[in-house]
Amino acid sequence: MKSITPLYKPLALAVGLALASSTAVAGDDLESLRQTVAQLQKQLAEVQKKLEEQEKQAATTHEEVKKVAEVAASADEWKAPSTLVHMAGYADVGYVSSEGSDGSFIVGTFAPIFHFQYRDLVMLESELEVEVEPDGTAEVGLEYLTVDWFVNDYMAVVAGRFLSPLGQFRQNLHPSWINKIASAPPGFGHDGAAPTSETGMQLRGGFPLGAMRANYAVYVGNGPELNAATEDMENFELEGVRAEGFGNDRDGNKVFGGRFGLLPMPGLELGISAATGKARVTALEIEAAGGDEGKNEPGEAGGFDYFDEADRDYSVYGFDFNFSYRSLNIRGEYVNTEVGEATTGLTASEGASWSSWYTQASWRFLPGKWEAVARYSDFDAAVNSRDQKQWALGLNYLYTSNFMAKFSYEFNDGMAGSEADEDRLLMQLAYGF
Amino acid sequence: MKARNGLILALGLQALLLMLAGTVQAFDYPETGDFARGSKIWADNCSRCHNIRSASELRDDQWLTTSFHMRVRAGLTGQETRDVLTFLQRSNVPLKKIVADTPSTASTGRSGEAIYKETCIACHGADGKGAFPGVPDFTRKDGRLSKSDAELLKNVSNGVQSPGSPMAMPPKGGNLELTETDVRNVISYLRQQFGQ
Repeated sequence: MKSITPLYKPLALAVGLALASSTAVAGDDLESLRQTVAQLQKQLAEVQKKLEEQEKQAATTHEEVKKVAEVAASADEWKAPSTLVHMAGYADVGYVSSEGSDGSFIVGTFAPIFHFQYRDLVMLESELEVEVEPDGTAEVGLEYLTVDWFVNDYMAVVAGRFLSPLGQFRQNLHPSWINKIASAPPGFGHDGAAPTSETGMQLRGGFPLGAMRANYAVYVGNGPELNAATEDMENFELEGVRAEGFGNDRDGNKVFGGRFGLLPMPGLELGISAATGKARVTALEIEAAGGDEGKNEPGEAGGFDYFDEADRDYSVYGFDFNFSYRSLNIRGEYVNTEVGEATTGLTASEGASWSSWYTQASWRFLPGKWEAVARYSDFDAAVNSRDQKQWALGLNYLYTSNFMAKFSYEFNDGMAGSEADEDRLLMQLAYGF
Repeated sequence: MKARNGLILALGLQALLLMLAGTVQAFDYPETGDFARGSKIWADNCSRCHNIRSASELRDDQWLTTSFHMRVRAGLTGQETRDVLTFLQRSNVPLKKIVADTPSTASTGRSGEAIYKETCIACHGADGKGAFPGVPDFTRKDGRLSKSDAELLKNVSNGVQSPGSPMAMPPKGGNLELTETDVRNVISYLRQQFGQ
């Protein structure tokens, strides 16, 4: 109503002027003026009515906006639904050049991780691993797939195919955005001294221990399978342990193991790991004198059949530590895998052992964006051609905490003429998401 | 024989799971944890394996899933997980461009030292030198404490991104209950404890 008031002023002025001049005008003029005033009054009434309608409409709109705002403020169910879906993971690309071959650009790994969580009861976790092969094809693997049941505050049951809980590198450090050197320490990659995956069930958790903290993982799983090799089908030797989470327990013997970690103070963790069980040769490589090689899987030629092979003793033990103080991090790990002898079966032979250790120091400098890394590793395999001592030096630039450029150089010392003896330059862009 | 052993093992596992099921603790989801404990657990544990990641990198609901994933990976207890989640979600606040909207002169009644030990110590360390790379060193002569009280008050109240730090300090260190008087008390404590 207030907004209409100013309109009365010119109207009053017009009326006043009309009245003041009424004595000087003729009757027709007066009638004309009356008609004009009446018309103005009519128009004013219409304007007033429209304004009142607009004010009512504005009030209604205001109420509606207020209601929408209230509903929007309370509509927070998306923030905490019972079921959550989340994707994380990591990827890396880079360039590798070694003494024995020309340099090549490579796509290291694309590893998406999927999380499906129902409240605080259960989570399904799965990591795929996509790698581009030298021939341009892509290979897809299932790194792990587990159902994690959060039983109580101190225990989770983790069932399925999981990363080996023995030691630290395989279960926590191998993603490229976490590993500070652009390669795994010798013996801690696939087919090395340390088991990579297991299929079975484990119990994991943590608990306070006085002023200290502790964590644990114990598991039972299908266990590994063994590779044997021969040149003459008379003498055999163990060549490798494949501990990669087989989905079928072909030897029928389970492996039991676990790790216990102690954190006596912030920044320091000490861990011990062990596993024991049985394993059987399930693949035989026939290394012909001419250099041709063949691998005989069950039921193939060569008289080899894993059903006839003996179950061998299998054991793993290891230690690890990790220490951080501000910009400095020092960590190390040792793992030893022993396989016993077999006196029966086609590949009957002596036992063998694989061991490896590494220690690594890293330091962040120049307000935390640059990182210098030095790592020493010593891998002692059952086959001498795979033995390797390595110094790896690295310089990393951290664009963010989870995106970095890595420049690494490996000084390798292995059997002369073997790949294990070739120095390598590695450059890598790694992104954890 | 092996089949019988396998059966015994499977039955044993089933029995174990049923036994464990009886001990399931029901907690409201997601139950709020303790901010101060969470900040300390976050600072002490995450950098055991990887670089510290800023609370602003993920949405609150993404932190929920990530925290449970890390519970399994890092061997955290359920309570530690909830504490860290609370710290990350409360710290996941955008930096303000103006001084706090409703400055209050009232105090929560806690001393600057108490507030520092609850809210600040996880990142800035007991000695004020920074608990991990990129966190400013309060003891440096030309460091943060060389700035005026007004500027420090603005930075603490609104949050600030330090060059090289993996994470921007959220407004009031993520503890939005702090009043202006509390922040002034903390600044006084910093000058008294770490100033040159």
